[in-house]
Amino acid sequence: MREYLFAAGAAIAAVAAMPIAAQQVTGQQAQDFALTDMYGKTVKLSDYRGKTVVLEWNNPGCPFVQKHYTSGNMQKTQAAARADGAVWLTINSGAPGKQGHMTGTEAQSFVRKTDAKPTDYLLDPRGVVGKAYDARTTPHMYIVDASGTLVYQGGIDDRPTADVADIKGARNHVLAALDELKAGKAVSVAETRPYGCSVKYAS
Amino acid sequence: MQTLRFAIVTLLATVFVTFAAPVSAQAVGKSNHIAMRMVAETDTPAPGSTVTLGIAADPEPGWHGYWVNPGGAGIPMRADWTLPDGARAGDFRWPVPQTLKIGGIMNYVYEGPYTPLVDLTVPANATPGTKLPVAVKLDYLVCTREICVPESKQLSTSLTVGDGAVPPERRAEFDRWRRALPRPLGSPARYQIANGKFRVAIPFPASADAAGAYFFPLTDGAVDYDAPQSVARDGDRLVVETAAAGSFAKPVEGVLKIAGGQGFMVSATPGTVPPAIKTGNPDGDSIWTKVAFAFAAAVLGGLILNIMPCVFPILSLKALSLARANETESDARGEALAYTAGVVIVCVALGATLLALRAAGSSVGWAFQLQDPRVILFLLLLVTGIALNLAGLFELAAPGFVNRSAAKGPSGAFATGALAAFVATPCTGPFMGVALGAALVLPTAAALAIFAGLGLGLALPFLLIGFVPGLRAMLPRPGPWMATLRHILSVPMFLTALALAWVLGRQSGVGGMTLGLGAALLLALGLWWTGARQRRSSGLQWAPAVVAGVIALSALAIVTRTPVQAATEQAGLLNAQPFSEQRLADLRAEGRPVFAYFTADWCLTCKVNEKAAIETDAVAKAFKDADVAVLVGDWTDGDPALGRFIERHNRAGVPLYLWYAAGSDAPDVLPQILTKQQLTALPGG
Repeated sequence: MREYLFAAGAAIAAVAAMPIAAQQVTGQQAQDFALTDMYGKTVKLSDYRGKTVVLEWNNPGCPFVQKHYTSGNMQKTQAAARADGAVWLTINSGAPGKQGHMTGTEAQSFVRKTDAKPTDYLLDPRGVVGKAYDARTTPHMYIVDASGTLVYQGGIDDRPTADVADIKGARNHVLAALDELKAGKAVSVAETRPYGCSVKYAS
Repeated sequence: MQTLRFAIVTLLATVFVTFAAPVSAQAVGKSNHIAMRMVAETDTPAPGSTVTLGIAADPEPGWHGYWVNPGGAGIPMRADWTLPDGARAGDFRWPVPQTLKIGGIMNYVYEGPYTPLVDLTVPANATPGTKLPVAVKLDYLVCTREICVPESKQLSTSLTVGDGAVPPERRAEFDRWRRALPRPLGSPARYQIANGKFRVAIPFPASADAAGAYFFPLTDGAVDYDAPQSVARDGDRLVVETAAAGSFAKPVEGVLKIAGGQGFMVSATPGTVPPAIKTGNPDGDSIWTKVAFAFAAAVLGGLILNIMPCVFPILSLKALSLARANETESDARGEALAYTAGVVIVCVALGATLLALRAAGSSVGWAFQLQDPRVILFLLLLVTGIALNLAGLFELAAPGFVNRSAAKGPSGAFATGALAAFVATPCTGPFMGVALGAALVLPTAAALAIFAGLGLGLALPFLLIGFVPGLRAMLPRPGPWMATLRHILSVPMFLTALALAWVLGRQSGVGGMTLGLGAALLLALGLWWTGARQRRSSGLQWAPAVVAGVIALSALAIVTRTPVQAATEQAGLLNAQPFSEQRLADLRAEGRPVFAYFTADWCLTCKVNEKAAIETDAVAKAFKDADVAVLVGDWTDGDPALGRFIERHNRAGVPLYLWYAAGSDAPDVLPQILTKQQLTALPGG
């Protein structure tokens, strides 16, 4: 047993020391990852190859996330995406002790209470996937198409405020991109500046 | 492979997760973590004028507000103005921000009080006495290291159209806020994105201090904010290199901040930017080639120093003492090595002090110790003493504190070496300028090696005499002629004293020079008395010299640098006077034509213009013939009064060149690039 633990520790040290891409390039293959979901099951991005995948970085304590959840805008976007056959993965990269960090059960109750509609809620307390995707804010949105190519990264819309009143009239970049993908067109706005609270990584 | 490795990491990482800590509560609602008030520079702006408004913001301890580019995360402040018809608010001008890295994400923030400024245009048709209600809704983000809160504020103030008078305390407050703004650098910068690196070359005079430089990009999308920045000086450019955020082809704006908080607005266009010397320069010269070259120059320079009037007498007597003593081989070598050690250690110590002072932010050059009149006075006394000794006024046979320099044995040789190096520095400047200039931009170790090279060169002849018996044999046999030679050698030493007295006069005025000469006279009298007692072999031979020496040295406490010095030094060729609006008005009232120029140590265009056009003989002559008065305004530390004057001439910063023809109402604003011809033509046109 000891040997196994030691080996595992050594593996972490060795692999962690190697450089991992600090960000994903739009138009190129999105890096695969594996995370534990809110039920303790391991979920991989590559499990969903063949489907469009939306990634949403989440921190329930962040006022900008609250803007989109209390207004129901995020839930609506999730439902619309899934109705079109897309997969929605909400990811939490908040480190233990930091704002918005959640355990599996806490995440389950968050999804229940907000009536959120993600395909799954993934936990990234070490921030490994968040950093590999250069997720900087909550929310920060990514879209990976059926072939595994990253086709969008940026904000949820073009009104960088915490004011619910700004949702009406804003351009929802995620819905716009999903519509274009569905129509077989290229995503016209493929990169925007994300807005929100900074992701609460362990320093 | 990358993918597999990544999957392993994430799997393992999730396995080893610790589940702790509850969700921290979020303060939502009417929070107030940044206190804000809106202040107008004048409450009674004139019709058609612009009035500056300041939003004085003060975050609670532990909280920070964001710069206009918030960095890797965060949101800039948004303003929604409610203004009377015809009034217009411009863009905010933001103070120089700070960096704050949280969890690997770089934020550009203010952790203390900050005041963005904005210009409000008052309608030209507003009638005096009309009220101008000004209101703004500000939405901004305020964060701690843990949480972020969006806040919203309604600020308002009421202005009355009037005469535009600025109350003095308001002026002082706005002056303080303006000082915190970045200043326009004046010359354009260039950037290049290649191999994932963003490299920007910013024109910045080599002579200006740029310790702790950091480039805050204003334009989003070019620079990876989270990546560390490396800064290198390469002559008159400062090269900042960091990771690029992707490909980018538009101009990049930003603010260069240096230690101490000064900031400069930089505007960079795409182009080619070769890496700075730090990473190997384009000519293929490695840094060590440069070091080797500078080292060789330093050794040569040190060698030349031996025949300088300030060093030659000391050295030649020491050399002769070796020959005179007919010492053994090992003694000679020992003395030569001790002498070399003395020279090299003092040179390296002076160099290290110089580097330390520069690192601490002083702008000092080689022979910096000679900028202090007290050091000059001390050297004057020392050199006078040595000269009188050479002239035969007194002997150093008896043990004492100075005679170590002529004493035999390694410790005497060491002291001689140290003395020679210290006294030699006034002569070093012109010969060593290039090598020492190179030394100052090199890494510390390389720079110190060059100072050591200077010392080695200075010690070289003596080292040769010590180690090559043949050379020693060539030295003339001792005899009575040596006394004569010694007396003759006192002449260059007296001349050195004369030069030092002149320097002292330049620094401390006639009063200081008289004080120094008086102290030297007193010392001479004391030494004369000592010499007389030595010849009579009476007791307490050194008492008079010691007493006189102590009194003479007490003059060190009195001598001060005259403040005029800075001005006269700056005046140089053109006899320029420091700029003030009062001085300008006086000169114009006298009916003299005035050329006023505004410069700063960090302004490269200014320095180039000064070298190539302003401070030239042709211009000096043309100005002198036409009795043109020259005023110079130094904006290096961002004097707000000067800043306002510059702004009144529609310039945001330096360089600014103004020509007031005799009797004219308004100045001609000259172009920012000057030529000699333009300037010499001014008095005639």
